[in-house]
Amino acid sequence: MGFLTVLKKMKQKEKEMRILMLGLDNAGKTTILKRFNGEPIDTISPTLGFNIKTLEHRGFTLNLWDVGGQKSLRSYWRNYFECTDGLIWVVDSADKRRLEDCRAELHVLLQEERLAGATLLVFANKQDLPGACTPEELKEILELDQIRTHHWQIAKCSAVTGENLLKGMDWLIDDIAARIFTLD
Amino acid sequence: MEIMEGGIDKINLITKRDVERKLELQKRKEDKSNLAADNEKLGYFEKTFANKRTHIENLLMHSNTIEKHVLPDHFNDISKEILLLQKYVANSNIFLRSYDIKKCQESIQELTNKLKELEDELLPKKKFGFKNRTKPKVNNKKLERDEVDFHGKVTVVAKQTCGFSNRVGEILEIGGDEIFKKDVTVENLENCKVKILGCPSTLHLSYLKNCYIFAGPVSTSIFAENCTDCTLVIACQQLRLHASKNVNIYLHVTSRAIMEDCHSIFLAPYNLKYDGLDNDFKKSGLDKHCNNWKCVDDFNWLNVDKPSPNWSLLDEKNIVDYWGNL
Ligand SMILES: Nc1nc2c(ncn2[C@@H]2O[C@H](COP(=O)(O)OP(=O)(O)OP(=O)(O)O)[C@@H](O)[C@H]2O)c(=O)[nH]1
Ligand SMILES: [Mg+2]
Repeated sequence: MGFLTVLKKMKQKEKEMRILMLGLDNAGKTTILKRFNGEPIDTISPTLGFNIKTLEHRGFTLNLWDVGGQKSLRSYWRNYFECTDGLIWVVDSADKRRLEDCRAELHVLLQEERLAGATLLVFANKQDLPGACTPEELKEILELDQIRTHHWQIAKCSAVTGENLLKGMDWLIDDIAARIFTLD
Repeated sequence: MEIMEGGIDKINLITKRDVERKLELQKRKEDKSNLAADNEKLGYFEKTFANKRTHIENLLMHSNTIEKHVLPDHFNDISKEILLLQKYVANSNIFLRSYDIKKCQESIQELTNKLKELEDELLPKKKFGFKNRTKPKVNNKKLERDEVDFHGKVTVVAKQTCGFSNRVGEILEIGGDEIFKKDVTVENLENCKVKILGCPSTLHLSYLKNCYIFAGPVSTSIFAENCTDCTLVIACQQLRLHASKNVNIYLHVTSRAIMEDCHSIFLAPYNLKYDGLDNDFKKSGLDKHCNNWKCVDDFNWLNVDKPSPNWSLLDEKNIVDYWGNL
């Protein structure tokens, strides 16, 4: 049995995925995580460090890592890159003042070798706020069309209403599954 | 007794040495077989990688013999193949030396560059322009100006927002349905008094100098930055304060407040009173009886033993307890 077959068998048995959630502070990462896991969202504090959630979804074991986005924490993001199958970049679609920061941070991140091959889902969060940028607008502002190194997709959502969260996650999971469980 | 003990010690010592020696031998043996396994895997990896690479190179080479209407698919397929190869390298990280990884990444980069070159050559893109954009309903004038100003950087679309900006020495008021569940922004004010009596979803305060802000319960977070010499009387789920100094905050926060790059911040409990405040609390979803106004995390002071020097509680004698008839 060749190495790849072994690797494939191993991953298939576990059906495990490691998903990293990043984005600027206040984007709604932790709220998305808790909402997705069916936990209350009104007691969430700004993240000082990180949260990990392991949950079962559609027969997969998802290891979700949510790392704080404050400026002073961003230099620690790289400690979490290893073995990432999927990257969720969360954007506060209503915070137009910081979209330029958001674009710059994202593109720096995508240069990272250790994230090479990871599927990228951009969550255009806070769509419940009137005046939030649409995914189409964000695609331009964040220059997503320039991304050649990763499979990517942008999905609108609201962690407060729960709108579209599952759909976005399912796309991410399908894309990862197609890649890592069918390598030959 | 002493000799006995010494004897036992000696026996123990010898036994211990023997065990250590055997462990060492076993380890060396394992290292050897590990090395062999690693080499075997490495050989297998190199062969697979080379095959895949040749395959992709062939696909690239044939691009100019392919009919135009299937070219996008063709390029997509190649792009997928490259990603797959990249993932293969990532998954093999465990046994690849950093030199190998570097070499592989370089090959992958080369393939990616070639793909891009070919794409640009064979499938020239429609030039991107603002004209293609679906224009937002509001503020067409602004957008036209942006089109002229456009220098390759996207200018953020002006959208309808509620709040105030660029005022000096005014009393400003907004509230009720106008702000319910909305994103309220207050920026670039000097010497102003701002009343936000109602319950917005979120509140942004930036570049305020010598201002008073009175706000009803904000359902989610308040993001405040660059506030100097201000007094904030605010209620929210989260307070995120950045780059501010000399600010007195009369706070109701149901989860936590954090600060980054701030100093001389003084805290007191929220004490705003206006008709309809209780109702606004209900509408906002904030718990009126849960106030963590003393819980502040200073991101520049992650020392748990000593309190942050950047904030403290406002001295009782300096607390203002009535804000007038709002
Ligand atoms: N209106 C609205 N508010 C949201 C939404 N998602 C999150 N929020 C609010 O935004 C604030 C920040 O959310 P968090 O989940 O703490 O943000 P985060 O990205 O984890 O921030 P850090 O931990 O600092 O990196 C909270 O007050 C949330 O209630 C949304 O979809 N709509
Ligand atoms: Mg968080």
